[in-house]
Amino acid sequence: MDIVTREINLDVPDQFEQWKTFLESLGIANFSGDEIDPLDYTIGLFDGDQLVGTGSYSGNILKYIGVSHQHSEDGVYFNKVVSNLLTNLGQHGVFHVFVFTKPMYAKSFEHVGFKELVQSDDAAFLETGDYSITDYLESLPKVNKSENNAGIVMNANPFTDGHRYLIEQASQASDNVYVFVVSTDKSLFTSSERLNLVKAGVSDLKNVMVVPGGDYLVSYATFPSYFLKAQADKVRYQTTIDALIFKDWIAKHLGINVRFLGTEPNSKTTAIYNQILEKILPPQVEVKVIKRDQNDGKVISARTVRQAIKDNQISSIKNIVPKTTYQFIVDHKDDLQERIKKGMKISGN
Amino acid sequence: MGINKTAMDGTLESSDIQITVSKGTDGVQISLESDVKKRFGDDIIATIKEVVKKFGLDNVNIKAVDQGALDCVIRARTITAIQRAMDNSEQPAWEAL
Repeated sequence: MDIVTREINLDVPDQFEQWKTFLESLGIANFSGDEIDPLDYTIGLFDGDQLVGTGSYSGNILKYIGVSHQHSEDGVYFNKVVSNLLTNLGQHGVFHVFVFTKPMYAKSFEHVGFKELVQSDDAAFLETGDYSITDYLESLPKVNKSENNAGIVMNANPFTDGHRYLIEQASQASDNVYVFVVSTDKSLFTSSERLNLVKAGVSDLKNVMVVPGGDYLVSYATFPSYFLKAQADKVRYQTTIDALIFKDWIAKHLGINVRFLGTEPNSKTTAIYNQILEKILPPQVEVKVIKRDQNDGKVISARTVRQAIKDNQISSIKNIVPKTTYQFIVDHKDDLQERIKKGMKISGN
Repeated sequence: MGINKTAMDGTLESSDIQITVSKGTDGVQISLESDVKKRFGDDIIATIKEVVKKFGLDNVNIKAVDQGALDCVIRARTITAIQRAMDNSEQPAWEAL
């Protein structure tokens, strides 16, 4: 067996076509720009000119892994691909690695050292390396598990009076409240800006702990879904994984027995998200939906705030955000507007 | 003695072992994934421990993913991974070898 490993450049049409044709023969059908463009590195195993295995990564997530079954024994090609990707990531200082895959392939990844976190009907989510969900959970502040503990997950891009209202409701109804701020850096406000604005905005609420969501409260924007058949399943599958991690790991470990959710009358995605959380979390975790706070009959939304920054109408948001958020926006107006000009989207989350 | 950064050596290919060494806080912790864990797991861990001891590491986490590696391979991979983690691959600690 003379197998050569080399990098595939997906920007070169010939190489892209060969790669795509190979994966299509393995049943992968989604090659849309939002799945392909974020790929940082792709390798191929070649038997002569023939492609017999491939894999890619984007950040610390392995993607588009496929190997020919015709001449491979005992997953030789599979191990070669994963090994090559992990070594390459290691050379870039990345040792904590994730993969989302079909449930039938979970075993293959476990065989090369991955640990399965959760599995749904559509997908399995696994991790490997020098950090694990247990380390993340150990890093969080602990409370008495038998008390009434609430959890809230928010992106808070940026923190508004609407978010504050949701946290206040939870704070009044519970002994302790964990607020998880999504760590994914795909928003106008960076993850540390968002985290710090939430902390500043609730510093008077003594039973509230604001913590980073780490890699485990993944905003649905970052879940790869190329291996699903129908695009319509995407939100459902991503949300299911998200809900299972919250229930089986986070809530279980910290003793959280109620999850507070805000409504989002203008977002279909949030509606599906809430619906799935209500289906998966109980009975271990009760779900409480809090109706959005309104200001003069208008729903308070972080999107309104981002639009106002873009339109340079900062004073218009003064009464829908906490003082701390307002001051931050005033102080960093130019920088934020520059980010929007450079292409940061203000729609979405 | 401990280490400050993560480092890896080895592959997931047949007859090899992939060793990932990272900062630890709770003594020498070794996790092993291997098809032959039942029969040879204790031997593999003992080999790794011996190398760790020679380097004088008290706090370290080691993740070993074995594909049927021989003793000498296990030792070599562990040594290289530790040296990378200690930032001294250029000047190997010969006395530890």
